[in-house]
Amino acid sequence: MSQTSSSRLLRWGCVLLPPALLAAGFAWAAGLFSPHRLSTARFMTVLENGGGAAPGFRRAHSKGLCVLGQFDASGAMTAYSSAAVFSQSHIPVTGRLALAPPFPHIVDGPGIVRSMALRLQPDHAQEWRTTMNDPPLQPMRDIQDAFASFSANQRDPVTHKPDPRLAKAYEEARPWLKTAYAANRAHVMSSDFANDTFNSIDSFQVTNAQGERHTVRWSMVPVSPPEAPVRPEDAHDPNVLFTHVIASLHQQPLRWNLVVTIANPSDPVNDPSQPWAPTDRTVTAGTLTLHSSASEDNSPCGGMVFDPTILPSGLSLSGDPLPALRSAVYMRSFVRRSGETKDPSSITPAMTQPH
Amino acid sequence: MSSSSSPRGFALSSRLVHWVMAVLILAMLGLGLFIAHSSTVHYVTLLHLHLITGVSLLVLVIVRLLNRFVVPTPELPADLTTPMRLGATGAHLALYGLMIAQPLVGWAMLSAGGYPITLGGSVTLPPIVPHNPALWANLRQIHTILAYAFIAVILLHIVAALFHGLIRRDHVLSSMVSGK
Repeated sequence: MSQTSSSRLLRWGCVLLPPALLAAGFAWAAGLFSPHRLSTARFMTVLENGGGAAPGFRRAHSKGLCVLGQFDASGAMTAYSSAAVFSQSHIPVTGRLALAPPFPHIVDGPGIVRSMALRLQPDHAQEWRTTMNDPPLQPMRDIQDAFASFSANQRDPVTHKPDPRLAKAYEEARPWLKTAYAANRAHVMSSDFANDTFNSIDSFQVTNAQGERHTVRWSMVPVSPPEAPVRPEDAHDPNVLFTHVIASLHQQPLRWNLVVTIANPSDPVNDPSQPWAPTDRTVTAGTLTLHSSASEDNSPCGGMVFDPTILPSGLSLSGDPLPALRSAVYMRSFVRRSGETKDPSSITPAMTQPH
Repeated sequence: MSSSSSPRGFALSSRLVHWVMAVLILAMLGLGLFIAHSSTVHYVTLLHLHLITGVSLLVLVIVRLLNRFVVPTPELPADLTTPMRLGATGAHLALYGLMIAQPLVGWAMLSAGGYPITLGGSVTLPPIVPHNPALWANLRQIHTILAYAFIAVILLHIVAALFHGLIRRDHVLSSMVSGK
């Protein structure tokens, strides 16, 4: 090879190598060299394989009802957090009551995990979105557990049902979840949404006006819930839990106290599968009052994402790993369902009208 | 073609805004790809960094456009073939278009999704389009497509710049590197 042609080759190499390296860097960022990376797309796949992947519906907590109301802060949390949601009254609330499984038309049953998601929008201040479930603890401690747990719930392609052996194997491989499983099994499910307690499970951080920080969890605890209406047709109503809460809301507002638990220094603040000390200080931050309900087919809650990392100043993420995962996966689910044509929800607009 | 009024190299202000934006845009595209293709406990922090950088880039592209109209830019070499001349003009127009469109699509997409856009503390950006889930889904797709287009044009831009500097050995690369 002549000197000129080899130097020409070298110069062409210098032209092409830097962009090639840069392209490789972008490919790495996009996960092309990391097939085992737990991308949100892989989470979506296991969630969709676990449920019906019904177009237009949320990929988890798929069956739900919008609720409207207000939050009135007691002022007691202002010692711990400067967030406006803890000092204002008559804060408008848009929320959603749902069943956790990824099936939008699942038949209501007493053993199914229920959830409450809320968006609090104070006047001239930052909003707060929060999601809560009724079990006391999370049977997963981190993102790896979450992926393994959803994977264990995938439906078998032949039987179209999850293999119970997978769920059992998930539990047995994780001795650190013993406490969470025991607590959730001992948890007595309430009869209805109206008398249910919903827990943040994940921890968050609060900061007050002096800059002092504390780690907290919270619960929505029902206040004098009405007697559950019992009707002869209940046994055959596939939407019995939603029918009950809609009927209750037509009779009277439903109220919950927001009870915030302040972590003590020995509490495991970064692990949603572990309980905190029962002696921890609690603060009643205010009262949630739900006035009415609406089908998610004609209410703004249908097109809303209850991303628990949407926090006002004075409330922030802790070291708990799961809210970040929820935010990422919810965004992916929100994109997919928003671009799809949705079938009518099980809870139709007509069902939320007074009879 | 070289006119007596156009300088040989880019002015310091032009080079400064070019290189600052170059670093930020590359970081931004890498960060965006990483956020979109992973799940990490740092997701919220990284997304916030992406947002802050995006807002900074939107401000910088306005500065850059103003600078472009005020400070004269050097001409392309006179002996450049017409296809190369057209390619250069097209690529630069595409880069400007993407620099303007991508942050605006990001802002509009979060607005359409009903996400509050918090820069830090209690500083928030107002929504620029109404809350509309179908629009959110479309804009989120467009944000991805524009990102890949951006990467493609940047790679082409780098190949072209190095081609000028190492193969053609004209003044194009040095006009942006040293300003001479």
